[in-house]
Amino acid sequence: MAKIDLSNISHSYNPNDPNPVFALNPFSMTWENGNRYAILGPSGCGKTTMLNIVSGLVRPSAGRILFDDKDVTDLKTEDRNIAQVFQFPVIYNTMTVYENLAFPLKCRDFSKSKTDERVNSVAETLNLKSFLNSPARKLTADQKQLISLGRGLVREDVAAVLMDEPLTVIDPDLKFRLRRNLKEINEQYKTTLVYVTHDQNEAMTFADNIIVMSEGEVVQTGSPKELFERPNTTFVGYFIGSPAMNLFESEPSSNDSVKINNTLIKTNSNLSKLKTKNIKLGIRSEFIKIAKNQNENLVEVNVQKVEDLGNYKLITAKMGSLTIKSKVTRETEIPNQNVKLHIPAEKCCVYEDNKLI
Amino acid sequence: MNKLYIFLKYFFIVVWTVFVVAPFLWALTTSFKDFQSVNGGVTYIPWLDFEPNLEGWKVLIKSPAKGGVDIIEPYFNSLFVTCTASLISIILGTLSAYALSRYTFKAGFVKNNDITFFFISQRIMPPIVLSIPFFLFLSSINLLDSLTGLIVVYIVLLMPIAVWIMVDFFNKVPREIDETALIDGCNPYQAFLKVVLPNSIPGLIVAGMFCIIFGWIDFFFAFILTFTEVQLLPVKIVALNSSVTPWWSLSASALVSVAPLIIVAFIVERYLSKGNLSGAIK
Ligand SMILES: Nc1ncnc2c1ncn2[C@@H]1O[C@H](COP(=O)(O)OP(=O)(O)OP(=O)(O)O)[C@@H](O)[C@H]1O
Ligand SMILES: [Mg+2]
Repeated sequence: MAKIDLSNISHSYNPNDPNPVFALNPFSMTWENGNRYAILGPSGCGKTTMLNIVSGLVRPSAGRILFDDKDVTDLKTEDRNIAQVFQFPVIYNTMTVYENLAFPLKCRDFSKSKTDERVNSVAETLNLKSFLNSPARKLTADQKQLISLGRGLVREDVAAVLMDEPLTVIDPDLKFRLRRNLKEINEQYKTTLVYVTHDQNEAMTFADNIIVMSEGEVVQTGSPKELFERPNTTFVGYFIGSPAMNLFESEPSSNDSVKINNTLIKTNSNLSKLKTKNIKLGIRSEFIKIAKNQNENLVEVNVQKVEDLGNYKLITAKMGSLTIKSKVTRETEIPNQNVKLHIPAEKCCVYEDNKLI
Repeated sequence: MNKLYIFLKYFFIVVWTVFVVAPFLWALTTSFKDFQSVNGGVTYIPWLDFEPNLEGWKVLIKSPAKGGVDIIEPYFNSLFVTCTASLISIILGTLSAYALSRYTFKAGFVKNNDITFFFISQRIMPPIVLSIPFFLFLSSINLLDSLTGLIVVYIVLLMPIAVWIMVDFFNKVPREIDETALIDGCNPYQAFLKVVLPNSIPGLIVAGMFCIIFGWIDFFFAFILTFTEVQLLPVKIVALNSSVTPWWSLSASALVSVAPLIIVAFIVERYLSKGNLSGAIK
């Protein structure tokens, strides 16, 4: 249990090369004690590298790591009291399930009774109770992953439990239940959980803080709501949400409005300091509705396709060459061809050079 | 179709079994024959075709003074040299293999793979090339014609096998196992001893099997590096030969000399069939 500070961390796997490639560009971040974090980003963006730096398996090329304000950058993995779960189950084949779960406690000289108590409680949570005495190698892949997870959770005093896409091998049903279990464990024991994934739904439902990464860069940190409503960059807007954020090339026309396809859209952003012409307007399809009695921020579109996706309808429409997507409730009547859509000014995000203004 | 498949399957199994077992049966019967039953036409079945006797076996344990060749001492010499050299090779080989698999070494242009290849390259050379250097080396440290000297040479010969097998094995053991052990609170030595090594027993068994086989069957170096003080089994068996080839005692000694390997094979086979060798790491 600790507050974890990453201060000016950067990492390159070939630091001595004349042209080192940085797997992580310099960033600073604080993980508060007891929170749930999700690290979200496409393959190869440096998520695993970040976790390995925190657990000490990788020493950062630059920067410091602090656990509760104590510098641990030079501390070895085994002395950091961190738990890490990998994507594929790692179990100690020669041991029983019980011995697997007890191993982290044994290495740290916990008493027999304390070990017993912790192992049993973790086994209870993870539904492994009936297997405790079976050889670990005899279990199925998802049970093995539960063991990996259990070894991470068995120590109550860990600074944080780092999980690198831990539920990939687990079937969806169990996945759902496990995510809830993890949440409960976090609420009950106040263990800091850090969860790597490239599934945004998983991140959104699990974490109270999401760290979005792209190409070695931390692009945005925030609550699911913040990421959803005000993505920092067009990348985040595109990456998070389904469907992705609507993004339109646009021209600034006054201090608070832009023009898309010659339609004036008012926004709540201050556009007086724009330097470039590369301006985009971003708006979530969830916020675009069929106009009722509004008289500004209306766009006239031609409906191309309406998909019924269970609890909502997804409208795909064209405005000239631009495609607009809008999510409306199931009950909404959609006139066949031409409709007016309303774009609420307070939900508009304006991007200059793909960065939020 | 299905019947044909079953028929062919059993047919080839039977053919192969006969092919493998027949020489042993032949050696077994021959070891109980005398001069007459070997040289006076083909005989197969004891008591019917020929009168079995124990002469061939007795020669092996009789002292030379009584006209025998005492193979008991060479036998134990061979066991001792093979086992000691195999054990040391496995220990050293496993440690080097682990290092080669997990850490990065660099000396100029020499990297991990080059070092691994260096080990294997020791076995690429024909043994004859090594014989003179080994001879001079052992004579310079006064270990010619001694068990210690043989053990030293056998370690040189067997360790590359152990390194080769174990590097390959460790490369297949995911690094995450070591990393998990570190995260769980082991230091790197404990991680190796408590986690990686127990997981590597299948590899150790295979490497051990090869070391024992190659150590046990070596004739060449045992022949060149020993004279009178110390003799190993293969050399002694060859010494059995005389102007009248003693087929019976040669057969008997062949059987006793393959016996340890058969025992090793049975142990490994039991292990194999339990499915412990394959898929131990997944
Ligand atoms: N041991 C290594 N040596 C050299 N380069 C590496 C090493 N590990 C990772 N990299 C590189 O660093 C970058 C970031 O890798 P990392 O494994 O952190 O990505 P990731 O976000 O975890 O990806 P994934 O979602 O596929 O697991 C990648 O470009 C990768 O090729
Ligand atoms: Mg990864």
